[in-house]
Amino acid sequence: MTRVVVDRELCVGSGSCEMLAPDVFEVDDEGVLAVLEPEPWDDDVPAVRDAVQACPTRALTLVD
Amino acid sequence: MTVDLDAAALDPDAVDLSDREFWVRPPAERHRVFDLLRRERPFAFFEEPVIPMLEPGPGYHAVTRYADLDAISSQPSIFCSGKGAVSIIDIPADLHEFYGSLISMDDPRHAKIRRIVSKTFTPRMLERLVGSVREIVDDVLATARRTAAEGDGTIDVVADIAAPIPLRVICDLMGVPDEDRAMVLAMSNIVLSGGDPELIENRDDPLAAFLEAGMTLAGIMERLAAERLERPREDLTTALVTTEVDGERLSSQEIASFFILLLVAGNETTRNAISQGVLALSEHPEQRARWMADPSLDRTAVEEIVRWTSPITWMRRTATQDGELNGHRYREGDKFLLVYAAANRDLEVFADPHVFDLGRDPNPHVGFGAHGPHFCLGAHLARREIAVTFRALFDQLPDLEVAGEPDRLRSSFVNGLKRLPGRLTGPR
Repeated sequence: MTRVVVDRELCVGSGSCEMLAPDVFEVDDEGVLAVLEPEPWDDDVPAVRDAVQACPTRALTLVD
Repeated sequence: MTVDLDAAALDPDAVDLSDREFWVRPPAERHRVFDLLRRERPFAFFEEPVIPMLEPGPGYHAVTRYADLDAISSQPSIFCSGKGAVSIIDIPADLHEFYGSLISMDDPRHAKIRRIVSKTFTPRMLERLVGSVREIVDDVLATARRTAAEGDGTIDVVADIAAPIPLRVICDLMGVPDEDRAMVLAMSNIVLSGGDPELIENRDDPLAAFLEAGMTLAGIMERLAAERLERPREDLTTALVTTEVDGERLSSQEIASFFILLLVAGNETTRNAISQGVLALSEHPEQRARWMADPSLDRTAVEEIVRWTSPITWMRRTATQDGELNGHRYREGDKFLLVYAAANRDLEVFADPHVFDLGRDPNPHVGFGAHGPHFCLGAHLARREIAVTFRALFDQLPDLEVAGEPDRLRSSFVNGLKRLPGRLTGPR
């Protein structure tokens, strides 16, 4: 099972992940990233990989 | 400048990125030089441009390879922004008050302030803004149509389309009243003029002009801030004056410098992406026709326009220690210009980098900055504005033609157009 891990020290809430995988990531009204699906469905995994890649602060990792 | 660029393209010793004239050359010529540097001198050293009344600094290295640039950008503790990110010279103390904002700040202070403002720029917050962006764009394009109809059919793509759209969006976001907006535009032009004599009256003393522009913008902000403290509203200014970081409110200086950053960054960048996007589409009519016919290209097309134009040419970082990066040895205090415009044409990353391809995917361009905490805060907003603007241009001004040569801003920092002659030929 693939799992999304956020490094809270690095995340600045840029929302780049949300643009690419809106079903999995959402920056809330306080600017804090919420991971809606910490263990994303297989269908979402490619978008999540793009989001991990695109994160400007490299705050996201995928753990298999 | 009399240097023959073709000769310079063969001889890296003839290249001088500190020569202002280099920056008004057509993009294709500048990119030939970047290609050369990337290939032969990826950390090319240059003396600093001469600025009247300031001691020249020790010089800088222009980083033109994508991999080197991204490595520097993603190690903010080794390559800091706090010595100045938007100027080659260190920021003089008296300008720091107005221009020492988030962009020239390091963690932990940077992270704290960024979190306050980032919540205003999340994709969901911006989704709510899209309707108002669309209204602004429609109104601006209708006005451009009237201007052309009442005159001889010509417009200035910069003044009539590209400038007013982001100005109105960012002023709405901040809650700047209508009567202050012309002043905001004029002052932000000075801030990002790069000392272009057309925009700065006293060319012998650009620092005085920067200082005055900063004071004027700070004055507008102080008044707004006081009004919002008394009567809070649903705007970014209210969020800035009322939010606390670690139990502490932002000082009025921090608010003013952030306001200046937002106005300037929110105006000039998107303006130049739009104006040069129009120019690029006119130079590539097949790409224009393709995008016009297929709205599903919006996402990749916007990214390609940002890669292609790279509205901000560079940001600076300064080494905080001695070290080595990809074979280049550096010392504490060394300055690096991250030349995004060059990295965005790196053959190692982009297939056919000099081809304008609105369907390019993936497109990991660094037009909004490379990896690191300073990645453009307004990227989502800019993407929205650009996508909405071009779709509206296709729908409402399909007859827009570029009718002359662009007039380029004489700045190394902003890849800008001062004017772009356009013509509305009317329905045919």
